[in-house]
Amino acid sequence: MNKILFKKTLRDMKISWAQSLALAVIIALGIAGLVSMAGAYRDLSSSYNYAYDTLHFADVDFSLQAAPSGIVEKIAHLDGVSAVTGRIIMDTGFDLPSGEPIRARCIGLPTQHQPAVDSLYIREGRYLQPGDKNAVLLESHFAQYYHLHPGDTITPIVNGKRTTMKVVGIASSPEYLVVSRSKQDVLPSPRTFVVLFVPLSQVQKTFSLADKVNDIIIIVKPGADRKAVIVSAQKLLEPYGVTATTRREHQPSNEALGLDLAGFKETAYLIPAFMFFVAAIAVYIMLSRTVHAQQPQIGLMKALGYSDSAVMLHYLTFALAIGVVGTVLGIAMGQPLASAITKVYAGTLGIPLVKTNLYVDLWAKGTLLMFVFLIGGGLGPARSSAKMPPATAMRFDPSAALVKGRTSIVEKLIPLPFWFRLPVRDVFRVRRRSLSTALGIIFSITLVLLGMAFLDSMNTLLHSEFTDIERWDMSALFSIPTNDAVLQQVRSWDGVKQAEPHMEIPSTLKANNKSQNVILYAMKPNTAMHPLHLVGKTNAQSVALSGRKIVLTNYMAQKIGVKEGDIVQVTTPFGVWNFQVGGLAKEYISAVAYISLDEAQKLAGAPIFNALYLKVDPNQQVMIKRKLYHLPGTANVQIKEGMQKDWDQFMGLYDAFVGIIFLFAVVLAFTLLFNTMTVSVLERQREYATMRAIGASGGRISWLMAMESVILWMLTLVPGLLLGWLVSYYAMSTFNSDLFVFYLTIKPMSYVLTSVGILVVMLLSALPAIRHVNRLNLAEAIKIIT
Amino acid sequence: MNEAVIRLEKVTKDYPMGEMIVHALRGIDLKIAAGEFIVLLGPSGSGKTTTLNLIGGLDNITSGQVIVQGEDIAQYKDKALTRYRREKVGFVFQFFNLIPTLTARENVAFALALLDGKTRDLEKRAQELLEMVGIGDRADHFPSQLSGGEQQRVAIARSLANRPPFMLCDEPTGNLDVETGRSVLQVMRDLNRKEGTTVILVTHNTAIAPMADRVVRLHSGTIKEIGINSEPAPVSALEW
Ligand SMILES: Nc1ncnc2c1ncn2[C@@H]1O[C@H](COP(=O)(O)OP(=O)(O)O)[C@@H](O)[C@H]1O
Ligand SMILES: [Mg+2]
Repeated sequence: MNKILFKKTLRDMKISWAQSLALAVIIALGIAGLVSMAGAYRDLSSSYNYAYDTLHFADVDFSLQAAPSGIVEKIAHLDGVSAVTGRIIMDTGFDLPSGEPIRARCIGLPTQHQPAVDSLYIREGRYLQPGDKNAVLLESHFAQYYHLHPGDTITPIVNGKRTTMKVVGIASSPEYLVVSRSKQDVLPSPRTFVVLFVPLSQVQKTFSLADKVNDIIIIVKPGADRKAVIVSAQKLLEPYGVTATTRREHQPSNEALGLDLAGFKETAYLIPAFMFFVAAIAVYIMLSRTVHAQQPQIGLMKALGYSDSAVMLHYLTFALAIGVVGTVLGIAMGQPLASAITKVYAGTLGIPLVKTNLYVDLWAKGTLLMFVFLIGGGLGPARSSAKMPPATAMRFDPSAALVKGRTSIVEKLIPLPFWFRLPVRDVFRVRRRSLSTALGIIFSITLVLLGMAFLDSMNTLLHSEFTDIERWDMSALFSIPTNDAVLQQVRSWDGVKQAEPHMEIPSTLKANNKSQNVILYAMKPNTAMHPLHLVGKTNAQSVALSGRKIVLTNYMAQKIGVKEGDIVQVTTPFGVWNFQVGGLAKEYISAVAYISLDEAQKLAGAPIFNALYLKVDPNQQVMIKRKLYHLPGTANVQIKEGMQKDWDQFMGLYDAFVGIIFLFAVVLAFTLLFNTMTVSVLERQREYATMRAIGASGGRISWLMAMESVILWMLTLVPGLLLGWLVSYYAMSTFNSDLFVFYLTIKPMSYVLTSVGILVVMLLSALPAIRHVNRLNLAEAIKIIT
Repeated sequence: MNEAVIRLEKVTKDYPMGEMIVHALRGIDLKIAAGEFIVLLGPSGSGKTTTLNLIGGLDNITSGQVIVQGEDIAQYKDKALTRYRREKVGFVFQFFNLIPTLTARENVAFALALLDGKTRDLEKRAQELLEMVGIGDRADHFPSQLSGGEQQRVAIARSLANRPPFMLCDEPTGNLDVETGRSVLQVMRDLNRKEGTTVILVTHNTAIAPMADRVVRLHSGTIKEIGINSEPAPVSALEW
């Protein structure tokens, strides 16, 4: 054999660069998905811990009625206490410039230096100084939301008086990484809650608490027994009325972050894992098909005197080259994406200190796994080809060799017009090719539908929560029990169309030795303010919410392992009772449960309530909110419109993920289809060239290929959509947390769009291959190697 | 001699191979009359296939003319070439090149269907062609179920679909044993004699040469010699 032929072989062996690139892109996407999402998850949790460490996040927080400042020193001397800070915390109000009243929390801090515990991260301006008069450090979320900066003035209501204060700085606090007022604050928002850090002496003066503190936070020495430290501190503080002892893990902001992170964890691993799996399978199939199709070249190499191992080494090198390009590309895309996700996520949450890392172990794991598939896909077929006698291999027609079996049943049942017979035959008789092509299409459908499912489900969630579930316009929560007189008063106000009392009680559900914290809503059984969407509907709402019956969310029922009819123990601040599960409600907020208001009042022994649902004239909302805050004991007033805004913003985070997932899915699907279609066409170069040689026009061949695509598409549509639904269902459930539950919704239009989109992409992605075939040098293509 | 139905004039064909240029044909002049049986003979690499492909409109010419029935097909664009191949030429390849997913009959029907677009009686006409080449009984088999000789005969039947005035065969016996090879050559000979089809047969096997009307010997891209057999040998007399 001469040198020219040898060169020709090498040239043939180089698969078209587009295909190799597509393979590399698939690998890159698989790796990038893993590195970016899992990396972002790790970045986030390390960022939280970094912020906690840097800012000396408290281990325990004791709320007191009031204690002399000297107590701080005593606590500091306790065994196992490494740092302690005494503060005054007062909840007050704040009127926004629009006139809308919101809640404020004043925290008095020492001015000489930053507190040793829960210190602040100054983002703008400066920390408090001795001698500061009416100076305030503003919590960063609020400042950001309302665009406030040092030098601006604010007028909170302090001890009943509007007090003008000058903003000297903007600060983040480890206690308010999520600006949660309390555990009851399901969806914390800087829109309606502000934290003000002011000089301790000033608060003491304003509230007539000279030389006193009402909140003590401590950090326990590493290795010390926290429980023992708490017990001894509580003993010291007992005379001063300990109203709450909050451990770090139950601190509202930390707990919210934890839940959020937990929700993200599964998503961050599972979805990339699925995409990685698809990529790996795709690489395996594509590579083995490509190598398989090169048997004649392999035969020639052997005829030229290459040994089996030399042939295999060649294909191994080829597979590894694609793998290296793909993984490097994947890491190069994934790592910055991880940092970007972390920064966006942390930025949206308002986390002050972000730490992004390189996760070499993730790179290594992804790369290693991918290479297993690469080597398998590249080496298996190369080995079997290398074993073949050169003469057989050279004459091997990859297309003919795949043909097995008899005429398909489809054909026997339906007599097909001649021009349809060939594409049908190609699909059904060349099973191996069809199966792997079909797998590519099914995965593509799955990926795209997954993206669609996310978008649809988010939209549905937002829409249903605020139109189907929460039907009130405003709600008010009181910190003390309220009665009918207040209700009558509210009803008499201008603009109030309806007012309905209910109760919101922090409670714990127990069953099967499992317990969950929820907010227990006691509502009128026939309430139209928050109708329950009962699953199965065995009981009407008025029945499910009557007597000793309780309605749980699906999620909670699952968590504590109960079903309709089972008994649940409900622990409230007022007593412990058993309730029977009267129904399960489909809700998006997980940690809630519902009982009848009548029953709650019976148990409380008085016709009291602590919350109101209102329907109001939208123009008078702000006015009504102000009036509500003037009622005795009003803790919080919500306007639904505002809440909706908060949700939209909160969902923006999920949207960012969904956007990334969708983009990944679509690009992956496109690349997958491109490769699948291309390989499928190129495998049959010789066949098509023969048809061209005997006079079939380019159009005829394009038509045949298109028909085959359509048939494959029709066959894969149902399994693809089915798998897509299943994967979406599973993926969606990974978003569920103790905070929120996501239900899978896929709109009919999304099925249609996915299906049609895939067909269009299939046809489009086959175009380059079709053009290639139609431009083939026929003389060369009809011979194999001669 | 009759008026030449195929005329090659100063035909050259170069293949660029990276830095080098392979001169596959270096100026071929050849006239072929209607109804002739031509054997193109020459060692491997001498340019036989290239010549055949240029006549069949499968490859682009570098310079010169290929005049078929008065028209220079070298000037044809893709569409005209496709039509030319469909209507005028019957190909038989060394590796048969049947469509693996179609049965023998359907392979023939495929070529028939290309012709007039009419799909009626396709199978019947295909069956007739298969019977003509003596494998009517194998019509329902797929190529993978047929022997080499049978496959080649299906290929011939397929090439006959358009009743082509020219049959171009590239090493049609190259992959067949002597016995089968002879039977395939017999089919060619019958076509040539009974139907008046012009046959151009490429081979490196000198033993086949005696059956031709004329033998064109190629060497390094040029015609070395054209021999005339005043009395072509019967196929049965060929031995290799
Ligand atoms: N596609 C091609 N690219 C490069 N060189 C080619 C190509 N096809 C044929 N050749 C070269 O052209 C010359 C003639 O080839 P060919 O016509 O196939 O010879 P034959 O059929 O007589 O064996 C040879 O040297 C061959 O290597
Ligand atoms: Mg040849």
